[in-house]
Amino acid sequence: MTMNVDVITREVIRGGLEYIAEEMGIILRNAAYSTNIKERMDHSCALFDHEGRMIAQAEHIPVHLGAMPIAVRSIEKKFEGEIYPGDSFILNDPYLGGTHLPDITIITPIFFKDVLAGYSVSRAHHDDIGGMAPGSMPGNATEIFQEGLRIPPIKLVSKGEISKDILNLIMTNSRTPKIRKGDLMAQLSSNWTGEKRLQELIAQKGMKTYKLAVDDILNYSERRFLSILSGFPECEAVGKDYMDGDGIVDDLVELFVNVKMTKKHVTFDFTGTSEQVKGAINCPYAVTLSGSYYVLRAITDPTIPANEGLYRHLSVIVPEGTILNARSPAAVVGGNVETSQRIVDTLLKAFSKILPDRIPAASQGTMNNLIIGGTDRSGRPFTFYETIGGGAGGRPTKDGIDGIHSHMTNTMNTPIEEIEVRYPLVVEKYALREDSCGNGRFRGGLGIIRQFRTKVPVVVSVLGERQKTAPWGLAGGEDGKKGIYSVIKSDGKKIILPGKTTTTVNAEEIIVIETPGGGAWGEWKKRTEKSKEEDKSNGKVKEV
Amino acid sequence: MSKISIGIDIGGTFTDIIIQDKETGLIYNQVKVSTTPKKPEVAIINSLQEQLSDADKVNVQQLYHATTIATNAFLGQVNLDLPKTILITTKGFRDVLEIGRQRRASLYDFFFERPTPIVPRKYRFEIDERINAQGEIITPLKQNNLKKISDFIKTEAIQSVAISLLHSYKNAKHEQKVKEYLEKEHKDLYLSAGFEVSPEHREFERTSTTTINSVLMPLVSRYVKSLTDSFKKIGISAPMFIMQSSGGVSKSEQVQQLPVSIIESGPSAGVVASCFLASFLDLSKIISFDMGGTTAKAGTVVNKSITLTSEYEVGGDVHSGRITKGSGYPARFPFIDLAEISSGGGSIAWVDQGSALRVGPISAGADPGPACYGQKGDDPTITDANLVLGRLNPEGLLNKTFKIYPELAEKSILKKIAEPLKLDVIESALGIVKIANNHMSRILRIVTVERGLDPREFILNAFGGAGPLHACDLAEELKINEIIIPNNPGLFSAMGLLFTDAKHTYVKSIRKNLFDIDYSDLEQAYQVLEKQGSVVLTEEGFKTKSIAHKRFVDLRYVGQGFELLIPLEGIALQNENCKDQILKRFNEKHHSIYGYILKEEEVEMVNIRTNSLGLIKKPRLVKITEGTTKPIDDAQLATREVYFEEFKGFKQTPIFSREKLLAKNKLVGPAIIEQYDTTTVVHPNWKASVDSYGLIHLTRM
Repeated sequence: MTMNVDVITREVIRGGLEYIAEEMGIILRNAAYSTNIKERMDHSCALFDHEGRMIAQAEHIPVHLGAMPIAVRSIEKKFEGEIYPGDSFILNDPYLGGTHLPDITIITPIFFKDVLAGYSVSRAHHDDIGGMAPGSMPGNATEIFQEGLRIPPIKLVSKGEISKDILNLIMTNSRTPKIRKGDLMAQLSSNWTGEKRLQELIAQKGMKTYKLAVDDILNYSERRFLSILSGFPECEAVGKDYMDGDGIVDDLVELFVNVKMTKKHVTFDFTGTSEQVKGAINCPYAVTLSGSYYVLRAITDPTIPANEGLYRHLSVIVPEGTILNARSPAAVVGGNVETSQRIVDTLLKAFSKILPDRIPAASQGTMNNLIIGGTDRSGRPFTFYETIGGGAGGRPTKDGIDGIHSHMTNTMNTPIEEIEVRYPLVVEKYALREDSCGNGRFRGGLGIIRQFRTKVPVVVSVLGERQKTAPWGLAGGEDGKKGIYSVIKSDGKKIILPGKTTTTVNAEEIIVIETPGGGAWGEWKKRTEKSKEEDKSNGKVKEV
Repeated sequence: MSKISIGIDIGGTFTDIIIQDKETGLIYNQVKVSTTPKKPEVAIINSLQEQLSDADKVNVQQLYHATTIATNAFLGQVNLDLPKTILITTKGFRDVLEIGRQRRASLYDFFFERPTPIVPRKYRFEIDERINAQGEIITPLKQNNLKKISDFIKTEAIQSVAISLLHSYKNAKHEQKVKEYLEKEHKDLYLSAGFEVSPEHREFERTSTTTINSVLMPLVSRYVKSLTDSFKKIGISAPMFIMQSSGGVSKSEQVQQLPVSIIESGPSAGVVASCFLASFLDLSKIISFDMGGTTAKAGTVVNKSITLTSEYEVGGDVHSGRITKGSGYPARFPFIDLAEISSGGGSIAWVDQGSALRVGPISAGADPGPACYGQKGDDPTITDANLVLGRLNPEGLLNKTFKIYPELAEKSILKKIAEPLKLDVIESALGIVKIANNHMSRILRIVTVERGLDPREFILNAFGGAGPLHACDLAEELKINEIIIPNNPGLFSAMGLLFTDAKHTYVKSIRKNLFDIDYSDLEQAYQVLEKQGSVVLTEEGFKTKSIAHKRFVDLRYVGQGFELLIPLEGIALQNENCKDQILKRFNEKHHSIYGYILKEEEVEMVNIRTNSLGLIKKPRLVKITEGTTKPIDDAQLATREVYFEEFKGFKQTPIFSREKLLAKNKLVGPAIIEQYDTTTVVHPNWKASVDSYGLIHLTRM
């Protein structure tokens, strides 16, 4: 008897698994409470097989996805022999499979007739999980204990029974307890949907066929990956880039990678990267892996199904104790959102030497995290969190895109009308930042200006980058403009904020976020007159 | 014929025309003619000239029309240049339209493109004014602001204007003022404002919807005019009603003001036809499944009403039946909740780099067509696979008037699929059909399972040229027990046009806790919306007794991001316990979709909505001749080898003619039923029976 499923069945099951992951994402979004999930879609969902291998994911947030397998592994390890039907596990500890504390992961084992068949996993960014600043993204934290409630892998649901004590503990530690509960329930709802659908699929196809098909699906991705790799040159190249600073010490922090490509394997060796730092830009290994997975997918073929098979021939080497593989209890909240962007820049810099016609200039290289927290006029505490897009890098064939999120994130903005209904804030401006791009044959995208007037005293945390080094151009293209955060005081005076800080802002003062523009690709003298004219008439780029 | 209705459905390949005698309710004639894309009226007029006498033309009372002009405008098709349009918005926010939701539609593609903004930056104007979230004016609008814009309109020969100011859903005064001012200054300007087009919160979506409406106004107006002029030239001056995306028709004059309402005009007709069938046969749950040459579409009809959604992106990319967010232009307007996938008879099968068999999304279309057409195409399609499996008549399609070449189908599957995958031709053909079915079962799941509905409780209504070929397979996949095949599956959508009530939808944003609402105020608010509907319907010629209103409310738990649409049918707002009744309905729906309810949470109202309907007299289906359980001898045309997976091989299968089947006839699968516009495959374990109206019911044995 052959131990293979036919290609047709494999394709049918693959489609089915992807569909399940997508449906999980929709359920989570629709049932969620927080603006961050429901309006911005800051969440991701995936399915794993019984061996903890990722078999399908919904395309949501790249930084979430790479780190998920480590989370599943940590559950398997810690709860070996204690995983039962009806259980669900929860964790957010970056040192045990999480990314940073606000990202809470829920993992539900899926059983078919009492046999473990896989896991449904959802990860969502919660807008407050305690700690020293509202929004749990303090730009000035120096150890993880300041960043919020740390949840090791624990059982949240035991044989169908939700632990009220754990829920209560989490709610008590959050400034917005009701919203926490709503969002956690939405995550559970999503996982249960994944569970139900996978059970249905297995019931239809049979456990044996399902397992064989899964092996085959993973091998299929591997095959497609290798077929692309065989068309790439065998070579080595290095990339280097910098973080502005860690929010505590003002020095640049270096990221370094050596990329080695053969026809069979790719190695990203980050040896040479800075030691871990005091401030909150350290990454757990999981985040470095996410950045590496992202780049690998983007430079090969994004249509290859993303699963364990795709990443079999990638090694990511990061010495322990560096900012890309930090040791506990280093503060990490900015690693996930900021350093992850620089990991991509550093890798792309190396790849621009290997595959010059496929790599864009640097995009804004930050997520511009903004958290505004306080108490509204009715005495209700609130936390508003969002990330703001900027310029994307110019590309070897066309301009970069204006005002958009790039690389490791893809969250939506919050509608102004939603902000103003929910929070004591007035948005005064939301516009493209004129002349902020790098100019060149293909210019970078423009950054964004977003301006808030607060009606009550608030605590503002910003966590951003590219205020000291600019998003770089390629092939003779100019760098993009750096970002600027500031507060306009009631007397009209403008105070520039550091890129990573927590500060108080008085009622009627204005917070201004100007995000970086993208770097350009190619020399300015090669830009067509038509493009120059168009930019000028649209007021995007004036005379250069 | 003393009273005539005409239904006209213009599709990409064919234009379907149905002429109905209104007195008897009988269909007088139905034809498919080739579409003339640049001047769609040419095909219609030519065909009507052939079919109608001058006396008939005078007796035409209504024209019903489904069109794809609005979608095509955004896909850059058929020489439709978008007119010069400007946007007027609140100071500080002219880039809202371009930034959108700051999200990229494709995550890992360095070279993706964001859709070009419908109005370029230089045509987006800001005016100094501001209204806050409570609807209070913080910065009053100064008229002298508008002078400069007005001059620009003149010098640049602007054709249309979109006005969208912050919080106008709460307070429309400023938008109104701007509109009045420009109306006075410019006679021939097309104008639309957010408060009229889409009075809901979320500025980007409202601005996008309003802008789409403004851009479409000149195009749709011109189109309507040239069409009605052509009708008048041949002596038809009946009013024209156009199918809207919501599944109701609206008089052409009204549509010219609100063209954003007809974006999905074409695909809606099929679901409306299914809805009619559900009412006629008294069925509470049916899935409308329409598979044609390039796409397949699914929607549901529950309790004889159509499910609507307001999330839609014009010109967006479809991935697995859903529109990829950020790939098109959002339009917030009621759309029939349809899921669509590029899977039709012409969808091409191919082998990718990793040696996987794929089907679609590229279609061979009508030109070059499937390999078996013997034209230029040599790519294998779903049609070729069905032919190789014996499901289609090898001697030709359309009652053998259209010759096909089975050997070419086989050759192309052998070369392009079987050899690279090391399979035989039959395995390959079966694989193509299975993968296509898998894609299509997804859209059926999206409209049922994902909406909290159990497909096993539904009847599948399969139509379109290819729907009945795949219906049994899909029903097996979703564990559906019954399928209905309408009389003329290929023309069923066009028929839907004749069954359609007029419909106008209204929405008002009211954000309040469910238990804090003063219910007499709420009743009042509904009545205001209903009044608006009655006025429009009266203008369209409906008498009071044929006007009806339906009420809905958008509810969510306080703090939740998404609303659920709850119908208020059967709940009287003056009753004591109405709040509890509404709450109960909300909780039930929440539980069915998300699997939980939150008893201690408060529930808030976000919008109230009404549908105002102008009811038309529905045509009746006509009874056919009655026979016995056994079909007459003539009904069986032949036998042929047809592949069925159930037998793991070919089986001699009887072939029947649909035209010769009589009421009460029963067939046991495997069997094939052929007719002019489609082929129905009855699988083993299924049986077919013909009802008194000639509809075929397939049931699982």
